[in-house]
Amino acid sequence: MRRLRPVLVLAALLPGALAAQAGPQPAGSQATRITYTEETLPNGLKVVYHVDRSTPVAAVDLWYNVGSKVEQPGRTGFAHLFEHMMFKGSRNVPDGQHFGLLEGAGARAGSDINGTTSWDRTNYFEQLPSNQLELALWLEADRMGTLVDVLTLDKLNNQREVVKNERRQSYDNQPYGTWLERTLGMVYPEGHPYHHSVIGSMEDLTAASVDDVKNFFRTYYAPNNAVLVVAGDIDVDQAKALVRKHFGWIPRHDPPPALRDASLPAVIGREQREVVPDANAPAPAVFVTYRVPSARAPQADAVQMLSGMLSGRSGALYENLVRRTGMATGVSVFNLGLVDGADMLIVRASGKPGSNSDSLEAAVHREVANAVSALSQADLDRARARTRYGFVDALQRTGGFGGRADMLAQGYTFYRDPNWVNTRLAALDRVTMADVQALARERLVPANRVTLVFVPNRAPAAQPQTPARP
Amino acid sequence: MNRLNTLALAAALAGAAALPAAAQQEHGTTPPPAGPLRPFRVPTPEQFTLANGLRVVVVRQPSLPIVNARIMLRAGSQYEPAEKNGVAQLTAALLREGVRGMSGSELSQQMERLGAQFQTGAGYPTASATVTALKPVIGDALALAARAVMEPTFPEAEFNRVRTQAITNYVQSQSTVEGISGDIFSRALFQPSAPYARQPLGTRATLEALTLADVQAWHRAMYSPRNATLVLVGDVTTAEARSLAQRALGAWQGAEVRLPAMSNPVQAASGTRVILVDRPGSVQSGMYVGQASLGRNDPDFFPMLALNEVLGGGFKARMNMNLRERHGWTYGAFTYLDARSQVGEFGITSTVRTNATDSAVAEAVREYRRIVAEPVPAEELASTIRNVVGSFPNEVQTVQGLSDRFETALIYGLPADYWATYRERVAAVTAADIARVARARLTPNAVTVVVAGDLSKIEQPIRALNLGTVEVWDTEGTKLR
Repeated sequence: MRRLRPVLVLAALLPGALAAQAGPQPAGSQATRITYTEETLPNGLKVVYHVDRSTPVAAVDLWYNVGSKVEQPGRTGFAHLFEHMMFKGSRNVPDGQHFGLLEGAGARAGSDINGTTSWDRTNYFEQLPSNQLELALWLEADRMGTLVDVLTLDKLNNQREVVKNERRQSYDNQPYGTWLERTLGMVYPEGHPYHHSVIGSMEDLTAASVDDVKNFFRTYYAPNNAVLVVAGDIDVDQAKALVRKHFGWIPRHDPPPALRDASLPAVIGREQREVVPDANAPAPAVFVTYRVPSARAPQADAVQMLSGMLSGRSGALYENLVRRTGMATGVSVFNLGLVDGADMLIVRASGKPGSNSDSLEAAVHREVANAVSALSQADLDRARARTRYGFVDALQRTGGFGGRADMLAQGYTFYRDPNWVNTRLAALDRVTMADVQALARERLVPANRVTLVFVPNRAPAAQPQTPARP
Repeated sequence: MNRLNTLALAAALAGAAALPAAAQQEHGTTPPPAGPLRPFRVPTPEQFTLANGLRVVVVRQPSLPIVNARIMLRAGSQYEPAEKNGVAQLTAALLREGVRGMSGSELSQQMERLGAQFQTGAGYPTASATVTALKPVIGDALALAARAVMEPTFPEAEFNRVRTQAITNYVQSQSTVEGISGDIFSRALFQPSAPYARQPLGTRATLEALTLADVQAWHRAMYSPRNATLVLVGDVTTAEARSLAQRALGAWQGAEVRLPAMSNPVQAASGTRVILVDRPGSVQSGMYVGQASLGRNDPDFFPMLALNEVLGGGFKARMNMNLRERHGWTYGAFTYLDARSQVGEFGITSTVRTNATDSAVAEAVREYRRIVAEPVPAEELASTIRNVVGSFPNEVQTVQGLSDRFETALIYGLPADYWATYRERVAAVTAADIARVARARLTPNAVTVVVAGDLSKIEQPIRALNLGTVEVWDTEGTKLR
């Protein structure tokens, strides 16, 4: 509980936030079903309406079916840089006024107004007093229809610098900041859509041109490549009329090209390990990552339960690495929820300052093996209970990060089914011990793991501005 | 709520385009007007006291089957002696590492089996143990949390381990420019005797000196039902709350706690003081520009809150538009107002590119001067107030958000209708109020500037700004030169 630091996650790429979004979100019983109606406009825009009048708050959440996985070589980081450009004005919205109008209407930047980019999708959202719903729809429609009309090199150069600062602040200048892009480069082969990070490399950000922005817009920012969720204190008939008025005129585009083949062997096939000297790090840390079935694979529910069973303060890893041996000061386990080809399950262990990184690494490998052989029904029950809680907790929010609107949009974007969220609890209840054990025995093995060992290196060294394997 | 405030709120909430335009039939070229405002009410808290002196506050919000239960004690770091800095937070962390008849592992297992979120912690004013859980299991979860507060066992092995974790947290924080600059900023604003000069986490040195006996003594002295409040927020009635509180905490016994008088003397400043901290190789610098500021109970709190929002409360606020959107020096720039007992902190903060650090500091000081020298334009203030007022219902949608606010009200003894009338109080602030408070409370020519970064690259350019005296400190707060 330090001082109230202002936090503004713009165009966020916080691994924690992404894991939370991709993580447990099963639906519950009684008052916890998300009811909705849906329609498709003639231009192909899918719209989902959800009514919840418990507070006078409305949410607009627009998910485009595009993420860093579509990026071409030499343009890593572009989907995210593009997302920043969506806040630089459109035909009827001067630069700066997107935030200005929404803040003036009662939405907070960061928590209520934001855009986020991941490997698999990009979204834009507004949460605001329900009497201001039309303003949010007008702004989203204006940029979907007219963004490139007012695009300039000056605006691009400004946001290029902002994104470079984001990269420095979130990755290059932080302890262990490069772990994710190093891991991606080893879990996914060269040329795979997930081989590179969402933030991209400094060189590629420098190379992005105004034409790139225009082409990306034409290819992916189409009504027929998006789902719009309107949720909260709304009247559905009135909301439908407003959506038609603001989005109905936007023309359909040619469908975007299919994603290149993302299929992968079940296991990586060889153990990989890298020792990373880190001038920012005051203590060693170990990241062990396994390739696991994607969030669209039949075993996705088992992956989620396995991740839940290994995590938590009463999970075997915390018990043995933190409590019993004191080898680590903290352990976390999570998966990203990537939908194509394969996902990643990550075990992160933080060491004490001055402790030996090799011992920590050996302990993590040993305790993962022990945890796999000791998985119990109690672990499964515990993971289910925490998941049920997490779902109701998320339902408290109409929009914003991971609220009701996000859950509906995620279901449509990844599974073509807004009702997906309401099927989660039953699906997770069907996962058996045998499912989880089979998954763990197949995947949590040395030949399928990537280990990063961060070793403090306090000598002032030049910071690599780009990863070894972008 | 008086009539003036009611009118101010109505005006603030009406939206930018207060006059309803004729409804457009097509996507138009101008922003659509706001519709009719929908009513919103903050739930009214109810209060009662158990026979053992424990106060209970109940806030009913029944829209989902979830309850947040917070056992809050006036046992935060502001009551610590300087040499025991960190004992409040360490004690709170150890509550969950063993209770009578149950190990820390068993306690965690039981909580997670219930699907309950269990957290303990301490800030400046309070320590707390909080569970959030689904309604059917909140009784069991609260009973476990109560045992952690009432009868922790503080095993020695757990003490050693958790203290090491705390030291690691400190070292990790001091390895980032954000952590270093924030810590040094507090040290520079207050005199060394002030609890607010220190972080609740403690430092490596003070944590290493703490003993198990210190933790036990702190718990014995500070943890008593007469020094505690249970806050229950969510799907819970007052009758249910009585039975939950009695079952979990009714047997707790303890005496009155005599809290030390609060004194947080600030550093006197006759001119601007610049403090630099070296982090070799850093590609960005952490920056703070500001001064000690008013307390939460100060009559000028609301004008100061509005000033803070205008200068750096959001995206369109002055600092972010300047450092990020105009210049591209940062991912974001903001201000914060942390109003505590009697005094607090106010400042501009950002993480900026190394080779733009001096320019960012200069712009921050310039904006600081401008908000004192020039009145805030009417539309800028109106938009800012609409933002704070309009977003309030969002912020209290969750039981956690509501609970945070009622905890604040309890800590500072704010009136019972404080949150019910919060929006009216914000809406009543005028540009003249801000101008008066800016002149009375801000001294732009005597501010504290703290920058952590690569001194080989930033020290000379910052010296060349000639802002005032320049000192170089280490990350532990010792002046080097």
